[in-house]
Amino acid sequence: MRETDADITGSERLVQQFIDQELSGEDRVRLLVQLGRDQALREHVIDLERLALDTARLPRPAVPDDFVARVMQRAAPAPSGWRRALDALWAPRSLQWNLAGAAAVAAVLLVAISGIMILPRANPQSSPLAATESPAPVLVRLVVLQPDAKSVGVAGDFNGWDPRRTPLEPMSGGAWTVTLSLPPGRYEYMFVVNGDEWVGDPLAVEQNDDGFGLRNAVLDVRPPAETTL
Amino acid sequence: MTRDEAADDEALVRASQRGDQEAFSLLVSRHASSILSVTTRMLGPVADAEDVAQETFVAAYKALPGFQLDSKFSTWLYRIAVNKCTDVLRLRKPGTVSLDETDENGGARWEPADDETPHWSLEQGELAWELDRSIQALPPLYRESFVLRHVEGLGYDEMSAILGVQRDTLKMRVYKARNLLCQALAHLDGVRR
Repeated sequence: MRETDADITGSERLVQQFIDQELSGEDRVRLLVQLGRDQALREHVIDLERLALDTARLPRPAVPDDFVARVMQRAAPAPSGWRRALDALWAPRSLQWNLAGAAAVAAVLLVAISGIMILPRANPQSSPLAATESPAPVLVRLVVLQPDAKSVGVAGDFNGWDPRRTPLEPMSGGAWTVTLSLPPGRYEYMFVVNGDEWVGDPLAVEQNDDGFGLRNAVLDVRPPAETTL
Repeated sequence: MTRDEAADDEALVRASQRGDQEAFSLLVSRHASSILSVTTRMLGPVADAEDVAQETFVAAYKALPGFQLDSKFSTWLYRIAVNKCTDVLRLRKPGTVSLDETDENGGARWEPADDETPHWSLEQGELAWELDRSIQALPPLYRESFVLRHVEGLGYDEMSAILGVQRDTLKMRVYKARNLLCQALAHLDGVRR
């Protein structure tokens, strides 16, 4: 493929520069003189000018109404419900706390975290299924911050993973809470926000993969006699 | 595109790079017509053209973090679009199409529009249809240069940045494309004049 202009005649080069509007004043005069003398060249220039004009006037294809939406869907698909739940859980948010609410939540958090963390780990074999006796149940309070939620439930080993069976109650400051009475053992659970968004518990000291890309919180409930308080 | 529009693009690109999807959707909206125009002229008015136009923006979105704004956003987009069109054209004629392979007249793969009897009563729409079809019959290298020059109205410097080809080479391709199109449309002279 030859792509140099070595073989273009002087007049052709002038014509192309004329179409591209790159002619100097002197060259434009030179071309006009040639066009006056050469009818074939004149018709050729008219053809080229008309081609440029017709091409510039070609109708542009209509952009479909949903073009942008489809591009965005392909470029940045909306996250799944699970992903949204995780994002919502970890996204920084500003909370409007009132003093009473803050104090209440702080107290509840202290109770809940204490209840989970300071229990001794002397009975790692314990589990709901492994328990052969019926030790006294232990009260455990769960707390989660979900200021935008309309409802929050908890689903876990203790309720057949049915969040409808264990709804949380809203507190001031966007916190939700529930008190469970559980036999000693290890339980996994997740919160369910607005009926369908499964979220982990960021306050849990232990977490396990749930097999679906999220992490279940682990609640290790010990008999009261084993506490170190 | 004016300097102000380019500056607006730059601000939208920077916002997009910070994760602002609304900013990127504005960029898509702003450039959709141009990109769809290029892909349609290059590939023909088929589903491919719209799909490739979408792919162009998707590819741009994914590559956005690495875009240093060392060229205009529109130049970068055109480059992606032309590359994607080239990929599609290669796939359409496997084993037979080399985009570097044209004879000196571009005649090896030049197909005249057709040998219809001239329609002396052609309306403008029909003329546009003939012209469009003739553009799409140009050898791909000539076609991309002609489309960017005369459909999109770009200058040779920007075309050089898009295609990575020297100005003089591009001028030669456009020159040959013009001559081929004039020949292809010669039978319409009666209605064009």
